[in-house]
Amino acid sequence: MSAEFVLEMKNITKRYGENTVLTDVSLSVRPGEIHALLGENGAGKSTLMNVLFGMPVIHSTGGFEGKVLIGGEETHVLSPHDAMQKGIGMVHQEFMLLPGFTVTENIKLNREITRKNPFSRFMGKNLETLDEKSMSMDARRALDSVGMNIDEYTKIHGMPVGYMQFVEIAREIDKKGVKLLVFDEPTAVLTESEAAQLIKVMRQIAESGIAIIFITHRLDEVAAAANSITILRDGKLAAVRETKNTTIIELAELMIGRKGEAVVEADDRTPPMDEIAMKIRNLYVDMAGEEVKGISFDVYKGEILGIGGLAGQGKLGIPNGIMSLYDAEGDVELFGKKVVLGDAGAVLRSGIAMVSEDRKGVGLLLDQSIEDNIVFTAMQIYGEYLKKYGPISLKDQAKVRSVAEKMIKDLDIRCFGPTQHTGTLSGGNQQKVCIARALALHPKFLFVSEPTRGIDIGAKKLVLETLVKLNREQGMTIVMVSSELQELRSVSDRIAIVSEGKLVDILSPNASDADFGLAMSGIKPSEHKEKGDGAK
Amino acid sequence: MTKSKLKISIAILLAVLAVVSAVVGFVNLPKRTSEIGEDIISDLRIQTIINATTGDGLIETYIGLAKEEARVKAKEAKLKMAEQRKVIAEAEEATRAKYEGVDTDNSSINPDDLAEPVKAYAEKLKAYLDEEASARQEYYDAHYDEAEAKAQAEREAKIAEGKDVPETMKVVVDMSGFVATEKMNALRAVSDEAYAQMGDAFKKSYPLIDDQALEAFEESIEKIVYVAGDDFSDLYDRYNAAGSMNAVDDKTAAFMVRYADDFIYIAIALVIVVLTILFSEFLIAKFGIPRVIIGLFFILLCFVSLFYDLPLDTYFSNTLVRMGMNSIMVLAMVPGIQCGISLNLGLPIGLVAGLFGGLATIQLGIPGFWGFLFAILVGGVIAAIAGWMYGHLLNRLKGEEMGVTTYVGFSIVSLMCIVWLVLPFNSLKLRWPLGSGMRNTIGLDKTNFEHVLDDFLAFEIGGFTVPTGLLLFMAALCFLVWLFGRSKTGIAMQAVGNNPRFAEATGISVNKMRIIGTVFSTVLGAIGILVYSQSYGFMQLYTAPRQMGFIAASAILIGGASTSRCKVSHVLIGTFLFQGVLTLGMPVANVIVPGSTFSETLRILISNGIILYALTKSGGATRG
Repeated sequence: MSAEFVLEMKNITKRYGENTVLTDVSLSVRPGEIHALLGENGAGKSTLMNVLFGMPVIHSTGGFEGKVLIGGEETHVLSPHDAMQKGIGMVHQEFMLLPGFTVTENIKLNREITRKNPFSRFMGKNLETLDEKSMSMDARRALDSVGMNIDEYTKIHGMPVGYMQFVEIAREIDKKGVKLLVFDEPTAVLTESEAAQLIKVMRQIAESGIAIIFITHRLDEVAAAANSITILRDGKLAAVRETKNTTIIELAELMIGRKGEAVVEADDRTPPMDEIAMKIRNLYVDMAGEEVKGISFDVYKGEILGIGGLAGQGKLGIPNGIMSLYDAEGDVELFGKKVVLGDAGAVLRSGIAMVSEDRKGVGLLLDQSIEDNIVFTAMQIYGEYLKKYGPISLKDQAKVRSVAEKMIKDLDIRCFGPTQHTGTLSGGNQQKVCIARALALHPKFLFVSEPTRGIDIGAKKLVLETLVKLNREQGMTIVMVSSELQELRSVSDRIAIVSEGKLVDILSPNASDADFGLAMSGIKPSEHKEKGDGAK
Repeated sequence: MTKSKLKISIAILLAVLAVVSAVVGFVNLPKRTSEIGEDIISDLRIQTIINATTGDGLIETYIGLAKEEARVKAKEAKLKMAEQRKVIAEAEEATRAKYEGVDTDNSSINPDDLAEPVKAYAEKLKAYLDEEASARQEYYDAHYDEAEAKAQAEREAKIAEGKDVPETMKVVVDMSGFVATEKMNALRAVSDEAYAQMGDAFKKSYPLIDDQALEAFEESIEKIVYVAGDDFSDLYDRYNAAGSMNAVDDKTAAFMVRYADDFIYIAIALVIVVLTILFSEFLIAKFGIPRVIIGLFFILLCFVSLFYDLPLDTYFSNTLVRMGMNSIMVLAMVPGIQCGISLNLGLPIGLVAGLFGGLATIQLGIPGFWGFLFAILVGGVIAAIAGWMYGHLLNRLKGEEMGVTTYVGFSIVSLMCIVWLVLPFNSLKLRWPLGSGMRNTIGLDKTNFEHVLDDFLAFEIGGFTVPTGLLLFMAALCFLVWLFGRSKTGIAMQAVGNNPRFAEATGISVNKMRIIGTVFSTVLGAIGILVYSQSYGFMQLYTAPRQMGFIAASAILIGGASTSRCKVSHVLIGTFLFQGVLTLGMPVANVIVPGSTFSETLRILISNGIILYALTKSGGATRG
């Protein structure tokens, strides 16, 4: 290892068409160090790693600008396989293991040790006999080095999740000539003790001379494990720090930062806290990737409550669970009345409406007209927009048309007319149709989930303005879930931050960046300060 | 740019061709009824008569006549066989010797001398034959009901005796009672006289011919001169086939006159091609490639059948009937697609339920329209129960509908093959003549519900029969399905098909809606097969319903539906196009490749090809 850095990525810029996702980002990793890569969702961490591993998605979209140096030599990584041969390994967030195979077989998969046999002399290398003994010896050695005393003949199937993570790591270590390992959010699925064990193993690996890139959003783990830290924000390099010279608060601040100007700025006011609109106690939601694990909070009548947090932490599970799109349990009361979870129709009837984050999946009937979309829920839930002919009730076309035309005007939906199919509208206009559909229900309480995802700035402004207007003029209670902290801070009265399926804290929109950064990584700002103060 | 330029230049070229063709056609078409046309036909007719009656053939005719005469004489004299033969041989020898070396050359005949008398004869014969044809038709119409009643009574009697009856009832009107009318006799006399005059003219130009020969030739000359219903093209083609074209001086001109109508058809076809080329993008965007192709193919078939002088009006009438009889089965696809089970290829469940209803009706002997309603009721109830169970099955296998429906369809047909065999119905119309079990094909008749819809208020316009009742029934059911699509339940059902997660988010039970759609589709299938059977005149059991689901599915796909969205209009357009292509395709294929099974191959190609195409498109059909 003559070079100072095992890996240097210099001035990396990557564009997807018009959209620049990485601007002039550099990353340097010394041999034997644990280097943390920190950033919010969409900050560019995965793209940077895709560049490093030469993923096809990078090559097929026009490559990238900048240089990659491995061991001091400029290199072009052509494919993930090429990356492996150049000594770069990856421990995946989702386990890439074959459940029906043993630990040894998984570790040695496609790198089996074989002996020649009579058949293979004729039929080629694929028919050579496996040298099980030396394979399991290799596996044992790799398992020992990650501190795992599990039997190498155990099948993966039925193993605890934490063990699988270690088998993955063992597999990467077993590869010969590994110089650099990338850990992509390795602690996300681990229990606390497993996470501590993992960090210990990472240190051991680093001591043996293999460098580690540690991708995470847990600031305390970074502080505990990493030697140096690179922070990305909005596809740009925010800062590079040595762990010993920084604090968690500084890291949190660097990670969040202020991003651009607010599109809409609601007037500051004292949050209304007179009457409780919705009382949520011990809410559990089983939504894959957005699990909610026991959340309790109150929403006050007439406020806009923002719910923020990183992707996959469970913030989306809250509205989806209460609207009974996913299995949920817990006590939810709306103005003192119990809401029956599990019956979407009953929840809608109780006066709660939702604008879903999944516009195309849940929010719209893409093959049907704007007007049919707008009135659909009101028709099915309250039987509105129907004409009775004896036992048969048929759609009241005139009424449907008039309400659709009013909504199109009020919400400025750009379309050819109320009969245009929603599938042919732009994202922003589709979102407006979703809002119109929710409003057609005359709800007392509105959930808005990721209202500005994938829509242009003009539509964003209009959507947010509409929400503020509904709140201020009609006094509608709104809970807005969004990944865009800036958006939440500009519109909400209070902001609840969710991490790992649990509520971390409810902050004022004027709280500091550091507080938000800490909360998002699962640390309650007030408690951390107390700890910090205590140390001083 | 160059592509559109190329397109426009091709279009212009074809348009010019169309104009030329149209001019040729319209200039030549009136010539048929003018003197030019008459001259052509007259020339050809005389030549054909000359060819048929003169030359060496005439000698053979005389020999034949002499032999016949000798045979009759010998028979009268009651000679023994060997002697008879000898006498006949002698007569032949004698006649042959008589004409030995006689000049049979007919080139001396001047056709112009014959023109007048032949023309006069042709006119008079035409008058007589047309009169005879209409008189016969009148007689037939007057006696049809009587004959039908008689056939029906015979059939009933046979069944009562327990005898085997054929599947179809054939009505034969006994024409033996037909007597020539006075008018006919008068016209016959006139035409006979004209024949005699023509004969005289012949004898003058060609002395070899005599009265005896003329008498012998009368029948064949009559057939040459005129056959009831002949027009210019028929006569021209007949004389042309007889090899008389050398009688016409200007063959090209005659050809032009003969094919004047075809030139006009070509002109119209070219105009359609030009329009298609010019508006191809618009057409494809509006209707989609498959519908444009099938539509053009249908138009092409129309022109080919016009070109071959096939009776297009009859075909259109047949198409209308077949559209009516198939449309309900195609309509059965609509609730299936709307509720999200995609193409209901398990339609045979409904079909066998409907067939069971039909069998029950025949077994109980409920006649006419009430019998039909009873069949629908029984079939509908069974279909609803079966559809309900089928719906539950589909709900457990979401996402695999295409495979599941196909195999359920096949399985139910196979299962019912056993059921049909052991069904205890004992009506002789249903049972095999020997043993037990249902017949393969059960013929319907007037005592059941044959044509109850087809004949209701049916009327004719020329060769075009309009099955009013059938069309009304089809329209009524289409309207019902359309209406259902606008009801609260119908809208919810469509949302389930369109986006199940959306529907769930609104608190709609996806499973319930899918079952409603499946039941609806299955019941429509039961009604569909009964409508089909009453029009077809048979109920087909055993493996016959196997393919019907596929045919219905491909029809609605041609109509423009995709596997996830459809409208009632798709049913009508699709059934018309599909049945139109089949109805026209078979006779046209038989004309082009005579005596082949090409038409059947075509049918299979079309129906299976369209399903295949639709499956590749099932993900992303264009939104309209």
